[in-house]
Amino acid sequence: MRPSRGFVVLTVLVFAGDLLAGSLEVIVKDDKGRPGSDAVAYAVAAGAASAAPKKQAVVDQRDKQFVPYVTAVQVGTAVIFPNSDNIRHHVYSFSPAKKFELPLYSGVPAEPVVFDKVGFITLGCNIHDWMIAYVAVLPTPYFQVTRQDGRAVLKDLPAGQYTVQVWHPALKGQPEALAQRIDVGGGTKSLLFTLPLKHDVRAKRAPGLTTGGYR
Amino acid sequence: MTLSIVLLILFSSFARAEWRFEGETGVVYNSNLSNSDRSADVRDDWAWRSDISAANGLQLTRDLRLNLGADMRGEVWDRFDAFNTIGPGASAGLRYRFGLGRQAPWVLLEDRFGYDRFHTAQSGYDNVLNFQTGIALSDRIALEGGYAFESFVSPNDFYDRQVHRGNARMVFDVTSSLQVTVGYTYREGDVISYAVPPRPDIARFSIEREDQDEFGQPLRTAYKLLGRTHALSFSIAYQLMKYASVQLGYEYAITTHDPLQYENHLVEANIAVAY
Repeated sequence: MRPSRGFVVLTVLVFAGDLLAGSLEVIVKDDKGRPGSDAVAYAVAAGAASAAPKKQAVVDQRDKQFVPYVTAVQVGTAVIFPNSDNIRHHVYSFSPAKKFELPLYSGVPAEPVVFDKVGFITLGCNIHDWMIAYVAVLPTPYFQVTRQDGRAVLKDLPAGQYTVQVWHPALKGQPEALAQRIDVGGGTKSLLFTLPLKHDVRAKRAPGLTTGGYR
Repeated sequence: MTLSIVLLILFSSFARAEWRFEGETGVVYNSNLSNSDRSADVRDDWAWRSDISAANGLQLTRDLRLNLGADMRGEVWDRFDAFNTIGPGASAGLRYRFGLGRQAPWVLLEDRFGYDRFHTAQSGYDNVLNFQTGIALSDRIALEGGYAFESFVSPNDFYDRQVHRGNARMVFDVTSSLQVTVGYTYREGDVISYAVPPRPDIARFSIEREDQDEFGQPLRTAYKLLGRTHALSFSIAYQLMKYASVQLGYEYAITTHDPLQYENHLVEANIAVAY
């Protein structure tokens, strides 16, 4: 049996798309030239509708810390917050993009939290003030969190034009101010972002001078 | 009483226990350990000071936390070993937060009861009832203030003391590793000041007096009197690692009961560990 003309055309287009898919390496540095880890690099395709989110994400609580410190998800993703410690935690967010509270609990909450609005969310634990983490809710499936070396590779980007932005928990200003446009085809391209960062003033776990926190 | 209640609740709450262990060790310098007004009578000294504690935190509701703890404190002075002390204590505290998160205002009501054992007649029971409150003005600046009533009861009545103390301080997070505080304390209550007799000017208004050899020769008289103290303090904590920090502190205190007036400079350096 001969394949139909439509099937042939579709097959050619799919393989052509794969052949043209490219990668984008994003290099993030702070304004002193040091590698910017825990930054979220994301690419938004010009004019293309985003695919539906594919999977759940997990923000664990281990040894009285959120793991990972920074999580990136596509808008609409359900995030579960298991508590792997043998004590209770109380997770909350005041961020406008997602206000929620998971009152004192152990184990895995019955329901995940669906992040249905684009934005950057700060998580805290009401019991352990030093516990802090971030969820970047993005309008695109193309994102990565930078490693210790300040690098992230966005793979399998279909050919086309993208606006690439980088967000960091300590970023001064908005990521749009540092946006860069790039055309992606076959192969790997590279972009450098230099981020102005605020001082990191996270609450400390080590004993400090305040009395109101853990006591 | 406090000790037995604390122990009872501690052992009955293992199932939901969240234990916290803390230790602190370091040195303290007091420029005027003898609380003397005349420079010839002033004796300064260094001490090694340590404090270990175990506390059990029970989150009773979203906003209310009960902390129960037991501790052991000790001081060993370089020259004047009459002031060496060691003693256990127990504490119970209720902290209420008006909302979620570390920036929510809070109040803390805490009582610590302990025994201070000296190898002299100074030994006795110490009780501190403390009310403290605080609010974060931003993610870097917090204000705290409070009132404490301290009562020390000794078999030798001369060492009985009652003190009222009010304090206010600002805590500033300079970086994620560095914290600085500036504080003021007003203290009113019994103090013991040592002077080489005769001192009719002090004897006239002192509540009690005893001849003591705690500072060697010449023998001094210890005068118990009501004093008012104004103290300014400055401290720094630097986080060395996840569970440990180094802390440095300085306090300038001036105590008066007209016409008596003396000053103390206190310097502290500690390593603190919490797990």
